[in-house]
Amino acid sequence: MTVVPAQQQSGGGGGTSGLYDVLELILDRGLVIDAFVRVSLVGIEILKIDVRVVVASVDTYLRFAEACNRLDLETGANKSPGLPDVVGQVTESGAKGKSKGALSGAAETFAEAIGQGRDKAEAEGEPQRRPRRTASRKKEESE
Amino acid sequence: MSTYVYGIARAGHPEPEQEILGIGDPPRPVRVVRGGDLAAIVSDCPDRLRPKRRDLLAHQHVLTEAGADGAVLPLRFGSLSDSDEAVQEVLAEHAEHYKAQLDDLNGRVEYNVKAAHREEDVLRRVLVEEPEIRALNEANQASGGGAYQDKLRLGELIANAVRAREVGDAHTVETALTPRAEQSRPGPEGAGWLVNLSFLMRREDAAAFLEAADRLGSDHPHLELLVNGPLPPYSFVRPLESAAAE
Repeated sequence: MTVVPAQQQSGGGGGTSGLYDVLELILDRGLVIDAFVRVSLVGIEILKIDVRVVVASVDTYLRFAEACNRLDLETGANKSPGLPDVVGQVTESGAKGKSKGALSGAAETFAEAIGQGRDKAEAEGEPQRRPRRTASRKKEESE
Repeated sequence: MSTYVYGIARAGHPEPEQEILGIGDPPRPVRVVRGGDLAAIVSDCPDRLRPKRRDLLAHQHVLTEAGADGAVLPLRFGSLSDSDEAVQEVLAEHAEHYKAQLDDLNGRVEYNVKAAHREEDVLRRVLVEEPEIRALNEANQASGGGAYQDKLRLGELIANAVRAREVGDAHTVETALTPRAEQSRPGPEGAGWLVNLSFLMRREDAAAFLEAADRLGSDHPHLELLVNGPLPPYSFVRPLESAAAE
């Protein structure tokens, strides 16, 4: 979770990410009084459109398919007998602590599988496959 | 020169101990225009005000500073009046409406909560939880990624599964946090978030709210939660029309 206190955003005009996240509130909420003129927001509309990126569905489908293709889940399933247990534990109604544990357990399995895949590839002199999980790494860095 | 209006407070609203700087470059000092029982928090407006980053921040900053001393109705960014006298007329005209809202919002702050899926985590969940999708993904992987039609079909199934989880998780977030606040309002429409909600609460209840949000985040590690606040109660001021309809 990311908590951005308002004081930090406004202090010294420095904070940027906070502004981006409350921009819509400053621009779209707040009291409007008819007797007051509103300043032209011509410049700002572009910024708002930027916030509201809409991805066409076909693009989304292909992106998801590619992302899952890279997940390498089947290696984990074949090599680790643990996966069926994982499936059993991760249910909508399952205890939250439990499913959290199962998920991170699954993540370890994936990490091992990826590691094994890489070792194997290097040992056999195969060309290195494209790096995985770059998107998630970027995300973590930005947090 | 026109007057830029940040918000409306009670006439007894304390003068700030230190000068607050508002919009413009150089920043215009903030002053208080009193009329009857009410006061407007204003500054001069630069000749050609454009909505720049620093001005948006200044609007937010002024409301945050002034709001720390007592209830302030936040105006939407960019509200201009011809003169201080014209501001006083507005204060007088709808004084009862503003005073009622100041009572309602006294001691309250807004927190905005947005949630999104951590994409890789949710995709993993989908593959683990839905055997049909997992099988199709494995078939595609086995054939080097799959034909265009196969990818499209897989992607559509995944997109639907993700969507279903977005709806479920939006409900989860709302159910977990709504009891911790007095009111909630949906945030402005926009893509990129599975839920965007603003909550109104007493300032002293914010700690418990944040705790609940924290717990929500750790119970659902596939959710990226963004909590912004305390904010001026932007989402909980009512325009005149709705007051007339009540």
